[in-house]
Amino acid sequence: MGRKEIVAALKTKFERQNQVAVVLLFVAAALFPFMPGVEGWMASQASLIVIYIMAAQGVSLLVGYTGLVTVGHGGFLAIGAYTSALLTKYFGIDLSLGLIAGGLMSGLIGYGLGLIFLRLSGAFMAIGTLGFAFFIGAIINNVPLFEGRTGINLPASRIFGVKIGDFGFYLVAVAALALTTLLIYCVVRSGVGRAFMALRDAEKAAESSGVNRVFYRTLAFSISAAITGVAGALNGHVVNYVSSEVYADIWYSVDFLVAGVVGGSALLMGPFIGGAFIVMVPFFLEKLADFAYILKGIVLIAVLLLAPAGVADLLARPFRAMRRRRLAAAGDSLGLVGAAAARAQTAEGR
Amino acid sequence: MTSHLRCENVTVRFGGVVACDKVNLDVEEGKIVGLIGPNGAGKTTLFNVLSRFQPYEAGHVYFRGGPVDNKRPHDMIRLGMARTYQNIKLFGEQTTLANILIGAHRLIGNPIANMFWLPKARQTERTLHNRAIEIAEMLHLENDLDTLVRNLPYGYQKRVELARALASNPEIILLDEPVAGCNEEETNELKEIVRRVNRDLGITIFLVEHDMSMVMTVCDYIYVINFGANLADGSPTEVQKNPDVIGAYLGEDYHA
Repeated sequence: MGRKEIVAALKTKFERQNQVAVVLLFVAAALFPFMPGVEGWMASQASLIVIYIMAAQGVSLLVGYTGLVTVGHGGFLAIGAYTSALLTKYFGIDLSLGLIAGGLMSGLIGYGLGLIFLRLSGAFMAIGTLGFAFFIGAIINNVPLFEGRTGINLPASRIFGVKIGDFGFYLVAVAALALTTLLIYCVVRSGVGRAFMALRDAEKAAESSGVNRVFYRTLAFSISAAITGVAGALNGHVVNYVSSEVYADIWYSVDFLVAGVVGGSALLMGPFIGGAFIVMVPFFLEKLADFAYILKGIVLIAVLLLAPAGVADLLARPFRAMRRRRLAAAGDSLGLVGAAAARAQTAEGR
Repeated sequence: MTSHLRCENVTVRFGGVVACDKVNLDVEEGKIVGLIGPNGAGKTTLFNVLSRFQPYEAGHVYFRGGPVDNKRPHDMIRLGMARTYQNIKLFGEQTTLANILIGAHRLIGNPIANMFWLPKARQTERTLHNRAIEIAEMLHLENDLDTLVRNLPYGYQKRVELARALASNPEIILLDEPVAGCNEEETNELKEIVRRVNRDLGITIFLVEHDMSMVMTVCDYIYVINFGANLADGSPTEVQKNPDVIGAYLGEDYHA
């Protein structure tokens, strides 16, 4: 099997098709406000979905690619929201800057948290991050700057100096989501993404291959926190109000974890599925609000049992199998008949 | 004689047990050097010392002329040392190609530039991919580049580990029992591959192995340790005739 055939066999149409699917999804999302019959509240609801998807992206990057569990991303949501809210209130900054500032601040604190939790993994990491979320909750409840339960009212959002309504805000949110999606796409396909996965799968072997554990773990934490921080900044501006009653709530962290795990990280689409799921469950169960958490719990358990890598991974499986068949066929056509089958049998015999 | 990797009076203690007791050894550049000894003699511990996973309480390790006592495991690969493990440590849920690419991690350049796919990083990625495929071809893994490593037979996994080590462009590779658990055919194949890596790529090899046919035919020089201490060293013929080695390890009946 020559070099050319191998390269060709590895490059499948599927990856390209998935890219096209994601781009089409964004085009459809951007066209949504222009459809007839769409009202302002629908755009706000859609913005909320975008925000949850983005927060879930942060979680799924960490859970899916570095194998670290986090029950504390509500804390990063709060950091993003308050950073942008305070800067808007006291300095009247533009929404675009608010989003960047929220992401940067959250990423910076994520870096610090990554350093502190360097030695933690599994359940201990979950407890540690949960503690972080409680810690952030206590701060916004008690430090006067954050105005506790009274909350901070924000002026209407401006983008590049122009006031925007519900529709404009939704479009900004979609644009921001496009950027975070692109960021994740770049990261996970790069050498950095490979390093994340290597640390996840075999830490020692990764280190002896030259992967600096401290650097990559803190980097993963920073990127993940920054993405959720941008979601937080959006979350404050979508209702032009932040208060500790909302952001000290630990359920945000749980929701994001459920979204990240249910969707998974495969195909870039995982967080889309998980984020939309979390927003839509209470929306459709308006009269049965208490039932929402039960349903989320049931779905979480079902996913963990049936598709531990998330719903998106379930969707990706047939495509992966197809690719494997094609590669085997490429080998067979070049006179390596039966080689793959023989090996598969040996592997099963073990 | 240029010494490549050297350790001087290395001592490691686990509680009251002395795993390595003032061990000295010297791996010459460009050679294939073997380390043998009975089970529990401290071979793997010594390997972990050399790759800096295992702290030691006394002694020094020198690599390419400088001390590496204070280096961390991920530093060693930058200095040109790659290793494999006795119990294969691969990234099982990833493909062969991904495993080999991880081996090339030290060559990705600035991680931030790489993460954002800047032009130079794109070029680097292309080069690394091509090299990974080249290495796979050399080790006869080209048909399994897209296979998840956990689905590969044992002998293949051993080769993937070697491929990953090669991808870092190392000066030296430490092989921890490269043919353990392999059948005769796989063993012969690996022997040939180890020879080729040494001869064609000029990479120094330091290996621990129990398979005497492998050690005696492949190695240029052999160190024998017993109860954590140096017992003997010399060429394969010298070691085979050494009465101490026969008594402690090879046994009276051993004939090459």
